[in-house]
Amino acid sequence: MVRRDVPRHDASEKIAGVARFAGDLALPGMLHARLVRAQLPSARIVRRDATRAREIPGVVAILFGEDVPNNTVWVDVPGQMVEVSALKASMEVLATGRVRFLGEPIALVVAETEDVLAEACAAVEVELEELPGVFDPDEALADDAPTVHEDGNLLAEWNIDRGDVERGFAEADVVVEGEYRTQYVDHAYLEPEAGVAWLDDQGVLTIRVATQVIEHYRDVARILAMPESKVRVIAPYVGGGFGGKEDMTVEPYVALAAARTGRPVRMQWTRNESLLARAKRHPMRMRYRTAARADGTILAQDIDITSDAGAYAYLSALVLLYSAVHACGPYDVPNVRVRSRSVYTNNVPTSAMRGFGAMQVVFAYESQMDRLARRLGMSPVAIRKRNALARGDVLPVGQTLETDVLLPQTLDAIVDRAGEKPSPSGPRRAVGRGFASNLQSYGRLVWLNDSAAAWVGFHLDGSVTVRCGVPDIGGGQSASLAQIAAEVLGVGLPRVTVHFGDSALTPLAGTTTATRQLLMSGNAVYEACTTLRDRILAAVAEETGQPSESLRMVDEAIVGPETRVPVLDALVICRRRNVPTEALETFFGPRGRPVVRDLRAERVFPDFTFGSHLADVEVDLDTGQVKVLRYIACHDVGRAINPGSVAGQISGGTVQGIGMALLEELVVRDGVNLTGGLFQYLIPTAADVPDIETVILESGEGMGPFGARGIGEPPIGPPAAAIANAIADAVGGRPTTLPITPERVLACIGLGVQEGRGSDG
Amino acid sequence: MFVKPFAYERAGTFADACERLRAYGGEAKAVAGGQSLLPMINLGLVEPRAVVDISHVEGGRGIALDDGSLRIGALTRHLDLERDPLIARGQPLLRAAASLVGNRRVRALGTLGGSLAHADPAAELPLAMTVLDAEYCVTDGRSRRTLRAHEFPITFFTTQLEEAELLEWVRVPALGPGWGWGFVEVSRRSGDFAIVAAAALAHARDGILFESRLAVAGVGDRPIRLPAVEAAGAGASVDELEGRIGPIEDIEPVSDGIASSEYRRHLARVLVLRALSDACRRAGGQT
Amino acid sequence: MTDLAAVTMTVNGRRITRTTGGHLTLLRWLRDAAGVTDPKYGCGEGVCGACTVLLDGEPVSSCLVLAPRADGAEIVTASGLVTGGDTLGPLQRAFLEHHAAQCGFCTPGMLVCAASMLADGGPLSRDEIREGLHGNLCRCTGYGPIVDAIEAAQGSRGPA
Repeated sequence: MVRRDVPRHDASEKIAGVARFAGDLALPGMLHARLVRAQLPSARIVRRDATRAREIPGVVAILFGEDVPNNTVWVDVPGQMVEVSALKASMEVLATGRVRFLGEPIALVVAETEDVLAEACAAVEVELEELPGVFDPDEALADDAPTVHEDGNLLAEWNIDRGDVERGFAEADVVVEGEYRTQYVDHAYLEPEAGVAWLDDQGVLTIRVATQVIEHYRDVARILAMPESKVRVIAPYVGGGFGGKEDMTVEPYVALAAARTGRPVRMQWTRNESLLARAKRHPMRMRYRTAARADGTILAQDIDITSDAGAYAYLSALVLLYSAVHACGPYDVPNVRVRSRSVYTNNVPTSAMRGFGAMQVVFAYESQMDRLARRLGMSPVAIRKRNALARGDVLPVGQTLETDVLLPQTLDAIVDRAGEKPSPSGPRRAVGRGFASNLQSYGRLVWLNDSAAAWVGFHLDGSVTVRCGVPDIGGGQSASLAQIAAEVLGVGLPRVTVHFGDSALTPLAGTTTATRQLLMSGNAVYEACTTLRDRILAAVAEETGQPSESLRMVDEAIVGPETRVPVLDALVICRRRNVPTEALETFFGPRGRPVVRDLRAERVFPDFTFGSHLADVEVDLDTGQVKVLRYIACHDVGRAINPGSVAGQISGGTVQGIGMALLEELVVRDGVNLTGGLFQYLIPTAADVPDIETVILESGEGMGPFGARGIGEPPIGPPAAAIANAIADAVGGRPTTLPITPERVLACIGLGVQEGRGSDG
Repeated sequence: MFVKPFAYERAGTFADACERLRAYGGEAKAVAGGQSLLPMINLGLVEPRAVVDISHVEGGRGIALDDGSLRIGALTRHLDLERDPLIARGQPLLRAAASLVGNRRVRALGTLGGSLAHADPAAELPLAMTVLDAEYCVTDGRSRRTLRAHEFPITFFTTQLEEAELLEWVRVPALGPGWGWGFVEVSRRSGDFAIVAAAALAHARDGILFESRLAVAGVGDRPIRLPAVEAAGAGASVDELEGRIGPIEDIEPVSDGIASSEYRRHLARVLVLRALSDACRRAGGQT
Repeated sequence: MTDLAAVTMTVNGRRITRTTGGHLTLLRWLRDAAGVTDPKYGCGEGVCGACTVLLDGEPVSSCLVLAPRADGAEIVTASGLVTGGDTLGPLQRAFLEHHAAQCGFCTPGMLVCAASMLADGGPLSRDEIREGLHGNLCRCTGYGPIVDAIEAAQGSRGPA
């Protein structure tokens, strides 16, 4: 049942059009809520007055910060399974004193209809006194910069030192350097943020919300000063997450409104609101100096990274940690210096997005590899193979790679598949080929002491239920669990039903983030199933006198060399012998100690996924437009539980990466987001990308069930570098700023203002 | 979502529509396909007190060929322009322009008149009308007046239409024998608003360009005819055109979040040359 | 009409009458008034395609159509594409087999547009399918699986 390309159970409901997302639920008596948001990026709140708004017929309630029982939300580590450290980063649920970014919520308006909301929100009077703001991380670090938070604008720093970087540079035959910049990126899920909250018959505050983290029920409970046992979060199918639904979005607001009014309340963010106010991917500036020998062996990396944390910390410190740990890429580098910092500004906050800091650095380190290859006259594949990590190597931060690294095989696979580079389609066109390899962790940082629980049980008729808190955001999260259960318990897939995403009714499995769910909930389901299987086999063994080692569960029966007991009979045997026909297990991820600023740890992440991509592009030398002719992506996924799902993750992640490479940018000037709609924020359409040819390698060496590795995030890393390298191959000049617009391409051909900084030594 | 409520009225005839608009004293908007107006309403950029639906007014749609020109009702949809055999045979430049507007859904509802009245300086149909030197008929329900395409826009998203006036029909010449057409645009993605678009009609034979009409969009507050470039190309062989046509004057492209003015200026020349080259090739009978 | 007035449409074969304000979009009328929630709100700009329905046979962005404009019209949403008791027709089965739905939010609009594209004529090449889909955004699949599904469905055209 695993490694089978079966249609997913969730897909049928979605294709039939009957899947109900968070915004599809309507309850009798339901009210509607909307936020009044700050219109300046840096200001002091002088006056707030809802008198006029309250008089509008149909307005039911208007709340300010003072109306929130605990007006603070801790934002820096969503969905911890245990309390690991003092949480440091907070923000107000509704701002009362200061406003730090344009779009910050100030008031919550609740009304009978959406039509009333439009008028009511406009009628809430908010008077702001503009304060000096700072909108650039370098400026924010100056001594006289306006402070975004009282403790200063430096939010976090991570340093890595290994070996002797200066000696590495002194001994090198060649040094290449470059400065690379990445942009604000929006998750742009098709489903804007939405949720409905209501009080159930027991007074449990229930929130059905598009989320990646049902453990936020604790945060809501704290905000409402309610016991955690009285708050319930349900995650229905989510219309895309990608990290954007990892922090709370509508939860505290619908909860407050439902608690205040006693009625169900729905909140639906507009696309404009989502683009404006949802936290973004961190823009980063990365300066790399890479030293190598003439044979291509890298001797040293000197790396400097600055990220814009925006107005509130959210996950900025952790994102930067990922950048620092991944900064040297999938290569063995003996001498390393990484200096990185995340800085507050009055820009839109930045937080989690697929790749989580480990993907921006791919653009930098893979561009550097390409520069090196060109300088040395080496093939891009040869130089990567020369430096590739292998099992037993130690990452700069100090973690030893315990599983096999198939990086060279991924390079061979894409070269084999690609064949010759195509010819240009006309006289004013140029074709280039680019490579990029990456590593991306899967599983959460080990010092978060991550865990996931799952319950599995047989019904009297031999069908199976799995209960697991995992939110299903479209990556096949719940379908994988069904396949695992079917495999271990030897039942047909249609006999398995998965209930997921309910903090009251399903064992908690943690966040659907960090490419962790197959590792964590997959292993939890696997362990629950094996516990249950072993229990049943033991009971049947005793009953039949066969040794339990000789028995297997397969084809809806317990089968041995001389036995075949149909599963229904086996269940009767269990019940007669007081053997439970269900099991609950918790899978604990690897553990480690919390890290400090100067990073040195034997283990930071459970494990990593490695891959390589190839892009063939054609450049229109007159307009600068880039067409991706062909794209091949290869990753070692350990084991493909569902090959169709795996290919889908690789295809989808790669296209997001191509979007970041060529099209996507949220333009923020002086704290004002100028990109207010999908007609301006350009994500790839079907006509902008070719078929993503996926090659799946299965080393069997992952830490997930059946040796699987995580695959959700890894594919998003390489595309920007693969395409930039392909453009450099086509036209000579190299783009170093994302997105690679046609204008920037023309600059690479020497037809415009030179924008990218960097030299080849 | 979160739109200030407004009234909806449906008009049966042009005269009826104009009277209703007049009655609202400038606070009502005419809606035809809704593909330009509704996004603006949904984004809160426009807050009318009422909309007057003119999509089904009597005699609003229709394409007729008479006397070497095509008369097109203002409520004719982009999809109709894309598919109607009269347009395909009679003025294929217009079919090409219409097929580039938005996507299939936009073209199913959006109308020629709606696009012209919206006056987006980078839009395809106003550009096509400009290069075709189209004639516009405007009605206020009581009388009519005619304008030429280049007179119609005043500036960005602003036209000659007064408060109670509507475009009733448009007349374009049919493509004559020995003439070819070209229509090219650069946008960030297929179906997006053009950054720059160029339209060309060329009278050419055996690789010699006799005469052309050229216009470009996205480089000013309206589509711009290029008489100087037309003159520079006249009499040239197709191979000489690149040498004869230098940087395009008479245009004032702006810099914005999508593109710089320098890039737009550069694109204008590139696209004019491409459109003209396509037009010459088609004049010679090739597709 | 300034006040609420009754508007009647046939939605997926069912005749439905609901009152509406003049400003309500067809999308809101379907979802909030008629309880038909498969067309989705994704942008309000007509760009993403998640709200696509067939209006008298034409694919339209229901967020850009005012409900009163559609008075008397025949509306088909994704869940109404297959009639006659079958939940999944050839197009839907192709989507299922080719993993063309991940999060599923774009899927209803994508299905309506795909059905419309196939009805417009063919057979279409993969490039033509991609071009025809450029008005439907998907953030999860990378589009390949959706193109595969439509290509497969056009090969096995049956009642859809």
